[in-house]
Amino acid sequence: MENLHVVIGLEMHCELKSNSKVFSFGKNAYSDDANTNVSPVDMAFPGILPVVNKKSVEQAIEMASILHCDIANTMIFDRKNYYYPDLPKGYQITQCERPVGINGYLEYDSNGETKKAIIHDIHLEEDSAALDHLPKCSTIDYNRAGVPLLEVVTEPCFNSAEDAIAYLENMIKIYQYTNISDADTKRGQVRCDVNISLANENGEYVTPRTEVKNVNSLGNIYNTIKIEEERHRNAYFNHTEELVQETRRYDEETNTTIRMRTKVDAIDYKYFVEPNIPPYVISEELKSKIASEIPMLPLERKHKYMEEYKLSEVDANTLIKNREISDYYNKCIEIGIDPITASNWVSVNILGELNKSNISIKDFYLKEEYLKQITDALTSGKISSKQAKEIFAKSIEEKKEPKNYIEENSQISDEATLRELITTIISNNQAQKEAYLNGKTNLFDYFVGQVMKETRGKANPVLTKELLSELLK
Amino acid sequence: MEFTKELVDSLADKLLIGLTDEENKMVLDEFDVIDKDIDIINTIDGIESVKPMTHALDGVELTSLREDTPKETPDIDDLLSNATNKIGREIQVPKVVG
Amino acid sequence: MKYNRLTIEELHQKLINKEITVEDLIKESKELEKTLQEKCNAFDFIIDNVEAKEVTDNMLSGIPYGVKANYSTKGILSTGSSNTLKNYVPFFDATAIKNLNKANAIILNKTAMDEFGMGGTGTTARTGIIKNPWDITRMCAGSSSGSAAAVAYGVYPYALGSDTGDSIRKPAAYCGIVGYKPTYGMISRYGLFPFASSLDTCGVLTRSVKDAAIVVDNMKGLDENDMTTFDSSNIHLYDSINGDIKNKKLCYVKEICDIDNYPNASDELKAHLENFKNVINNLRDKGLEIDEVSVDKKLLNTVASVYNILSCAEATSNMSNLTGIIFGPAGAGESVTDQMKDHRTKGFSPLIKRRFIIGSYVLQRENQERYFKNAQRVRRLIVEAWKELFKKYDAVILPVGSGPAKKFESDKDVISAETTILEEHLQIGNFGGFPSITIPDGFVNELPVGLNITGKNYDDANVLNIAYFIESTMNYKNQNSEERK
Repeated sequence: MENLHVVIGLEMHCELKSNSKVFSFGKNAYSDDANTNVSPVDMAFPGILPVVNKKSVEQAIEMASILHCDIANTMIFDRKNYYYPDLPKGYQITQCERPVGINGYLEYDSNGETKKAIIHDIHLEEDSAALDHLPKCSTIDYNRAGVPLLEVVTEPCFNSAEDAIAYLENMIKIYQYTNISDADTKRGQVRCDVNISLANENGEYVTPRTEVKNVNSLGNIYNTIKIEEERHRNAYFNHTEELVQETRRYDEETNTTIRMRTKVDAIDYKYFVEPNIPPYVISEELKSKIASEIPMLPLERKHKYMEEYKLSEVDANTLIKNREISDYYNKCIEIGIDPITASNWVSVNILGELNKSNISIKDFYLKEEYLKQITDALTSGKISSKQAKEIFAKSIEEKKEPKNYIEENSQISDEATLRELITTIISNNQAQKEAYLNGKTNLFDYFVGQVMKETRGKANPVLTKELLSELLK
Repeated sequence: MEFTKELVDSLADKLLIGLTDEENKMVLDEFDVIDKDIDIINTIDGIESVKPMTHALDGVELTSLREDTPKETPDIDDLLSNATNKIGREIQVPKVVG
Repeated sequence: MKYNRLTIEELHQKLINKEITVEDLIKESKELEKTLQEKCNAFDFIIDNVEAKEVTDNMLSGIPYGVKANYSTKGILSTGSSNTLKNYVPFFDATAIKNLNKANAIILNKTAMDEFGMGGTGTTARTGIIKNPWDITRMCAGSSSGSAAAVAYGVYPYALGSDTGDSIRKPAAYCGIVGYKPTYGMISRYGLFPFASSLDTCGVLTRSVKDAAIVVDNMKGLDENDMTTFDSSNIHLYDSINGDIKNKKLCYVKEICDIDNYPNASDELKAHLENFKNVINNLRDKGLEIDEVSVDKKLLNTVASVYNILSCAEATSNMSNLTGIIFGPAGAGESVTDQMKDHRTKGFSPLIKRRFIIGSYVLQRENQERYFKNAQRVRRLIVEAWKELFKKYDAVILPVGSGPAKKFESDKDVISAETTILEEHLQIGNFGGFPSITIPDGFVNELPVGLNITGKNYDDANVLNIAYFIESTMNYKNQNSEERK
């Protein structure tokens, strides 16, 4: 049997974070109430015109820069014409003729290996309205209409569902690290069109391409790829069906894909340049300014953690899962905590604590400097690792700097040590013990004094008194 | 390109427009004119090397864009005042499938 | 009738001096509106109970005006003369209207037009054929037909128009008045129903050049809702008019104006071009330098087809929002698609359906290069040819149309292979976004004819000043279709 492999291309749409929409002054915000965040432009009333949001354009340039794209010198937009009830203007404003970025790439890690996704283009466009389906009718909510979207189109460059998902996970992290988007898949902020076909060992396509539209979670994307791969293999080897180039959709309930249209009925979108938006100059200054403000990205951080700090891949992955955690970790290193020690504290204790209390690290009491107080005391032998954990917990609970507890702990509070010391003192002062037992109760303070003298005042007073009352019997 | 009644009907259908036979015939007649016109256009020397002009004020390029400041949403009654079919705060349409 | 030949300046003086009241003006306008509606069917919507506004320093304050049916007017029916919007009442004003409201101008009515501006005859309005007040057997041309008829009849001193190919300037000529299309982007298009966005321009129809300057001074300005507007705060049209034409140079194009180009010319065409020639000679005598120039005839012959292809293509996309879902009467049908199709099939007139189909065809992937993109390319060549003329000349002066208003039986809207450059050259003004003004320049068969002056972008003040000078050398300023006879 021929050795075939799946070839996947992805078109990832992601909603961007901004105050207003991409081509209107409507609010860009989620709302449970329909039609609360709309402008006349979003509903395409006669005579409305688009007005481009500077922030969206800058976000698009930033992302194009991250994807190592050739960035356009002018921003121009095109109309994509088609009729659908969720598209009030009857066209979507997007970029076709010259997207903001073309010919880029992005590295991602899959299965312990660094791979390269080839980016065909990245373009800025607007989202459509949302249709709500009631039992007997549908309703239209325009809150989502005009929300800025970035679409990143890859070449058919993935050879497994795992690679595709790993790439998408990296993209999502990048959106979050740059704060361009929350990229929250649960809220439908990320949607993908998935292109699939099979190729032989020479890289020649042996099945026609299927495009599965608008798949909306990583799990569903994974399933889609697996289902389509299987369908293509079956058709190729077992002649279960005649494959044609077509557009399908994924049905979550049945976990199948369903045909929408074939190439014969493909829509001609009749693209043309949007005449209402004059070209906007993307100056070299703007390009470099935006590029200079890109934070260190997750994959780069991960590789640094592994190579420079010698962390394991598992630990490095844990630390880069979210930017705030990674930033916290970086700050720890910056102020001088040993990288391995810091990694252990962050990935075990701190993440555990955050999980338990369900808060974000931004609201976490124990700042990097406070963690350093603990790790320093631990390194210098002032406190034991058991004490360190106790201090960590206490400090968070009582919202007091760890150094307070460290001081406390440098008193002799170890019961065994004190018991031994006190036993010796009592046996060296038999006369005073006799007198005390015969009623001279004020001699108790004499013994306390002796313990303090012997420990130069470091004995834990409470514990000392407890042990004395026990042992002076 | 052969202009046929079927072509005209299919174009009209994609635009969500129905045509009478008479209207269809008029489009066909005009296509002949348009095609002659385009032949004139295509006789202009070196036409393929000219950059298409897409905007009225050619050469005008923007150097700034609007700030990211939203405006208040119009009153919901205004937004829906012209719609024939509505339910609650939304426009209502027959059930959309697929 | 006391006021219907007065200019805005004169009306303003009388209002300030309290010789007349705003109520008087509204009353007279309403009477004229009524008789004109019966005679010519010029209005799409008549507003009952028009309220007076305070007279201020602004010259437009307290004076009634007409608004073409394709401008959004808050709380006032705005149909674009189309059945697809026959019940549409906007909840916001077009920016131009907002600006005129600030001036305390008073909207009297909405004027009828060719449906969505896509016609040049005034025969496709949902309210019926619009007739020329000079001769009701003739058309006003279009698409600002109702505005032209109403201003010519003296209902008010000005009415708003929009101009995509010649929709202000052609009807102005046919109705013996002034039609001014400023530089593209001077007046915001926000709230104007689009026809072809890269050509559409707001403008005004008046009975004098100065009135046009006053109105556009009040309509124009940078608009945050229209990215194609420019800052014109340093342009003061009315204040710039002084009639001084020293060192000004004009040209006309031989291939358009010479009677020898038209072997089968009608008597009207001959008279029209003869009149134009006389006007040119007269202007030369008065000190204006006017040269004859040549432009490649091959290029001129493409103007009409370039216009048809580009305007139809943009229109088919621009009017995709007309589905009856959010506004307009909902269509009937089981599915959304059926409902949209029913709305569009019943709502659009046959003419614009045909244009949509042509527009859609030229945009199709396999046709786009040959049709749409080549038309865009030739557009550039034509614009460059005119820009070349503007290097040497302040403006191009040309006759409008092939004579006076046409009889209704000659239907120009069927795109005809015989279309001449004389009928279509005004479209060049839209190709380049150039400021362009038509003024009356005489009579043929007792019907008014016009000439056009087109200049370079942003040079509106110069163009208006030249037009003002030319106007002052003739006797057609403030003419009125009723009083001339």
